Amino acid sequence: MPKIWVLRGIKKGILTNEFPKKKPTAEEIPGRAVPPVATTNSDWVSGEKVCPTGAIQSAPERRIDMGKCIYCQRCAGSGFDFDVSNKGRVKALQANVNDNNAAEVVAKRLRIFKRSFHILMIDVGSCNACNLEVLNLSNPYYDLTRFGIFFTNSPKHADALIVVGALNRAMVDVLKRTYESMPEPKLVISAGACAISGGIFRGTESFVSPIQDVLPVDVVIPGCPPTPIQILEGLLLAVGKIDKEAVLH
Amino acid sequence: MISGTILVEIILCIFVVFGIGTILGPLSKKAAYSLGIVGSLLGVLLSLLVLVKGEAVSIFLWRVTAASSAQLVISPFSSYFLLISSLVWLGTCLYSVRYDDDYPNTLSSLLLLTILSMVLILVSGDAITFLVGWESMTIASFFMILEGKGNSEGVRSAAFLFLAFGEGSSVFIMLAFSGFYSSVGSFNFLSTSGIIGPLGSWIFITSLIGFGLKMGIAPFHINEWLPIAHSSAPSNASALLSATLTLMGVYGLINTVSHLAQYELWWGWLTLAIGGISALLGALFSSVSEHSKGLPAYSTIENNGMIVIAIGAYLLASYYHLALLADFAMIAALFHAFSHSISKASLFLFNGWISKVKRSFDLNSPNIISGKGIGLARLAGIFTVLSLAAAPPLAGYVSEWMILEVLFQSFRYGDLTSQIVGTLVGAVIALAAGIVIVAMTKVYGFGFLWSTKVETQKESGEVYGGKALSGSLVYLFALIIGIGVGAPGVFFFASNAASHLLQTDAFSTFVTGLLGVPAYFVILSGIPFGGFSPTFTAVFMLGLLSVPVLIARLGGTLSIRRTHGWFAGNDQPAHSYELYNSFGYSTPIRIMLRFLLRTKESVVHRGVLNNTVVLAPEEYVVELEVLDAFKRFYDLLAKWTIWLSTYVSKKVMPGRLGLYLVYIMIAFTFVLLYILFTVA
Amino acid sequence: MIHKYVERRQVQEVGGPIQLSSIFRAGGHSYALLTDTAANKTILSEVPARLGKEFELLLKGGQAPPGAPIDLDPGSKVEGYGLFTFRYGPVTYGVPEAGGFKLVTYGERIIKVIPQVNFKKRLVENKVIGWKPEDALLLVERSAGNFSASYSTCFVTAVEEALNLDVPSQAKWTRAVAIELERIYNHLYVFGRLAEAASQNVATAQINALRERVLRLNGKYFGHRYLFGFNTIGGVRLDISKEDGREILDSIRTLIREFSDLVEYFLSSRIFLDRLQGTARLPKQDALNLGAVGPCARGSGVEWDDRLTYPIEPYGDIYINIETDNGEDTMARTMVRIREIQSSVVVLRELLDKMPHDGPRLEPSSEYSPISSNDPADFSFCRIESPSGDLIHVVQLDEQGRIANLQVRPASLVNWIPFAKSLENNVFTDFQFAFESFGLSYADSDR
Repeated sequence: MPKIWVLRGIKKGILTNEFPKKKPTAEEIPGRAVPPVATTNSDWVSGEKVCPTGAIQSAPERRIDMGKCIYCQRCAGSGFDFDVSNKGRVKALQANVNDNNAAEVVAKRLRIFKRSFHILMIDVGSCNACNLEVLNLSNPYYDLTRFGIFFTNSPKHADALIVVGALNRAMVDVLKRTYESMPEPKLVISAGACAISGGIFRGTESFVSPIQDVLPVDVVIPGCPPTPIQILEGLLLAVGKIDKEAVLH
Repeated sequence: MISGTILVEIILCIFVVFGIGTILGPLSKKAAYSLGIVGSLLGVLLSLLVLVKGEAVSIFLWRVTAASSAQLVISPFSSYFLLISSLVWLGTCLYSVRYDDDYPNTLSSLLLLTILSMVLILVSGDAITFLVGWESMTIASFFMILEGKGNSEGVRSAAFLFLAFGEGSSVFIMLAFSGFYSSVGSFNFLSTSGIIGPLGSWIFITSLIGFGLKMGIAPFHINEWLPIAHSSAPSNASALLSATLTLMGVYGLINTVSHLAQYELWWGWLTLAIGGISALLGALFSSVSEHSKGLPAYSTIENNGMIVIAIGAYLLASYYHLALLADFAMIAALFHAFSHSISKASLFLFNGWISKVKRSFDLNSPNIISGKGIGLARLAGIFTVLSLAAAPPLAGYVSEWMILEVLFQSFRYGDLTSQIVGTLVGAVIALAAGIVIVAMTKVYGFGFLWSTKVETQKESGEVYGGKALSGSLVYLFALIIGIGVGAPGVFFFASNAASHLLQTDAFSTFVTGLLGVPAYFVILSGIPFGGFSPTFTAVFMLGLLSVPVLIARLGGTLSIRRTHGWFAGNDQPAHSYELYNSFGYSTPIRIMLRFLLRTKESVVHRGVLNNTVVLAPEEYVVELEVLDAFKRFYDLLAKWTIWLSTYVSKKVMPGRLGLYLVYIMIAFTFVLLYILFTVA
Repeated sequence: MIHKYVERRQVQEVGGPIQLSSIFRAGGHSYALLTDTAANKTILSEVPARLGKEFELLLKGGQAPPGAPIDLDPGSKVEGYGLFTFRYGPVTYGVPEAGGFKLVTYGERIIKVIPQVNFKKRLVENKVIGWKPEDALLLVERSAGNFSASYSTCFVTAVEEALNLDVPSQAKWTRAVAIELERIYNHLYVFGRLAEAASQNVATAQINALRERVLRLNGKYFGHRYLFGFNTIGGVRLDISKEDGREILDSIRTLIREFSDLVEYFLSSRIFLDRLQGTARLPKQDALNLGAVGPCARGSGVEWDDRLTYPIEPYGDIYINIETDNGEDTMARTMVRIREIQSSVVVLRELLDKMPHDGPRLEPSSEYSPISSNDPADFSFCRIESPSGDLIHVVQLDEQGRIANLQVRPASLVNWIPFAKSLENNVFTDFQFAFESFGLSYADSDR
């Protein structure tokens, strides 16, 4: 039997999920509650000392900034009901958190890209996990191209820039040049805690600033790293294929 | 009614003007070139008059033998070539008036002398005058090449190679003419036609070799590129050599072919094959050449190959009595001669200007031209390159389309072999035409556009009088567009020129109106086969391209933001060694076609560096070399000739009296024996 | 400090099977960690006297401060007509991370490669000084996301050795399970990138689907798709029960069976094989001289695996087979990775079947006190076979149990120069395959 790839592919069947028609399953947003870890570092600031990146704020109101959360779960069991099981996002909402929970459009969305959206991923200093998660969008389970979203290699062909990683001093000029080389209209998407706020690398000497201080960011996707479903949700929000309410309920 | 005397007077004026220019040259360059301009204008006038009138005029000079006399004949055929040459000379002299300040004054007089001898060739009516013109052209060009810059040994060897090949071509032409003489009995066969004789093949082969040597078709192509590239000949001289000297070869070939009444079948195959090989070789080597004069020189080989292919198709079609195809093929050859000469002259002058400012002929050295006034020159450059790369609706496209159409109709030949040969050659030149695009983008993109910030700022970036340069280049580029868009007009001239060769009235047969395009704007390539209207295409393209611009400007949505190039996130390169260069652009061809190009990649020198890491303590020099196998052959031939002459001079004719006496004895004995055996 | 599995002796000269693995400073002295690749042994000694300036490059690239890219120049000087430097820069398809190359070429042929690193330098090692180990763990495991399990395991093992903790075996065996899962998904990633570079679209899609299943497996049983946060000082945070273990094993077995089927398809695709065979040769002698580690060294015939050279628990108790190949080209490195995936299943079976269940971790105490030692040169270290090769962490703690010194020698750092040397004289199209088959990661080498 000759080995023909096409036949094998057909035999395999369809693996793609049905997002956004159906809600994401537990496998796609993984999480398993773990017991807390005992100590904290007195260097970490901002209110509650349980959080290494200072995402939790308990006064004047209880808020959690998901752009800073790295999902280390050290806050578990310290009175926040913060559970990163698959219902974690919704649960956190119910605890009166800031609605920077899921991906959020902070500036604008461009509906003209609804049917054809070309994105360029730029890594400005990440640990490589966010890179892999963004690149995972092209595997058969998520299949980016069925939404009309494609990856490009050159900013001159790109509609949007996905920035991952904590902005490193050596990459500031590169980032600016990339942004300038993109034609109008364009979007900037920050994916991952490192891009939004620096994540755990906020105090290091190589970190410059969150991306929104350098470029006008339109969509933020929190997570460390954000799972492909969360990134996909952010992308679809950016082009207006889904609206926020549809995701949350 | 224009009488013959006026034409005679004009011809004499041309001779006088060029002659005075030659003499005035050593005194004042500008005077000489201005006289050249006047002479070229006169030449244009004369050729237009003769072509429109359509009759030949002859001037009797003196009697040579009982049957022959020296004559000057101005026929429509030669005036067609005079028209092309005069247009090229006009552009060259316009350019030289302003830009020839690097070379000594003698160059100007040599240039005009060459032009004068070419005029003599074109108006000669008998073999002797033709040969006089031919020889003086060769010798004047030889001295012109010797004026080139570059290392003197390269210049001298290039000039001597040119002279050797030039004399070789004279020898073969003399052989061809001797064949004519024995068929006709007089030297005035250049003005008669329809010669039938048993020496047909002899005449054809010797004239093919003789004129081929001048045209630079394979296997004699090193005559074309080597003198220009290795001697770094001045650009006006290069334009003359490549555009018009080779045109003389075309003129001679078609002329001799036209005087033979009957063609053999294998002549057509041979010509097609040689033309195809030249076209492919020329295209290949031009795409891997890094010399700003060598690249166009190789391209001349390719274009001459295409003209020879058209002539071969004419021979085949005439053999099979295909009147329409034969006529179309001959007109295609003439048209291509026109478009190629103008485009090539323009390219040489353009490159000459760039090399002057860059002070280098290397395509890999960055350009430092900047400043105002180069807009028109830039436009001229891009149109020249487009025409040579056969982009519609320019001149080069029309002529290449015609040649390809001729080869497409190879199915009309009566014989399977001819059909196959024609189709194969068509495939070969299609490949050559594709490779030429690489060469043409190289010569413009890297030769002109390639520059970096640092190098541009380092030099003063002076522009050699942008406006005046634009004058001569603009004239040529207007011609290129004019020939392309007004192709029916050129068709008219060509059919008048070749009327003694054509079997139908080509102009009214092929140029008609079709499908709504008014009459005289469509050129058909066969009835029925194909057709094309360059004028209509030009109008259509212009209209189509201007619609979006108009919409944007009137609608107000046009917004332009300028930004830098994208270098994978890095800053713009500051030095030319960080930029993708011309050598790298064509190295894929060098490596992929290494069998044809005999590419050799080697490490030339290896050494040990002292204070570096132990990991890689080397320094090495790498080299990629491409070899023209024919040059090796000619080098070998030259070596054997030198060996032979050294041997003869040392062993056979050493200057010893005793040995000579022995030779005399042997010769005497042989003569005695001969007389004994023939008389007795 | 007593280092098990390490031979302390003085080595005068580096060469032959003895490779220099790392140089680090502890207590004012420089030490060298060497590896005897023939005998699979780790040697600790003072820095050898006759050490060429080879590791100047390593140190230069490794210790440079962040802020500007650094050229790791192999040192040779090339001249010729038509040479230019082509910058394959930080933002390009072939290199998905922030890092670049300078290729010296005259066209199709690559004459010299100069990797540009340091775009992502975060210098985690300097930041954690003075922190408690649990907090430093957060930074360490996020310095290289796809090697997170290896980094965190290496770090906590070194810290536990410094604190002299008696960690339960279940924790150590769970860590090994995590590392094997990480090995599987990383090798699948490399294989998928190779298939993508060869434009084998069906193969790419199917391999990426397999990798997604491994990541989902990670998420389900370890709490995070990339295995962040499962390690802690004194053990692991999760309890992998026997049923969990059986489920993991069954899923992986099914996965690998499908993978082996894919490999059969791949081995019968001439187009794919042609792109891999003969490209980017790294001769065995060069691999040894330049200190290559990991699957790329094993693809050149160097038989060295840290699981045998530094057999911490559980590697000493199970059977590990070193996969090598003598082909030296991209094909050999790919075959090494394929065989490692397949033998990971065997290793996982042993790990999950024989795992002792004596609790996942020690009960956290509020303060750990290190073994008091008067010798400022005492340090602890650990070597782990990460998916890209040999990873070394050297840790020193102060009297309060906070980090006084952390030095990381990642695997990718030493593989840059072997990669540069192997690419010489290849053509542009071979670049992508060589790069993917070496499995280099900028996040790893820039930590």
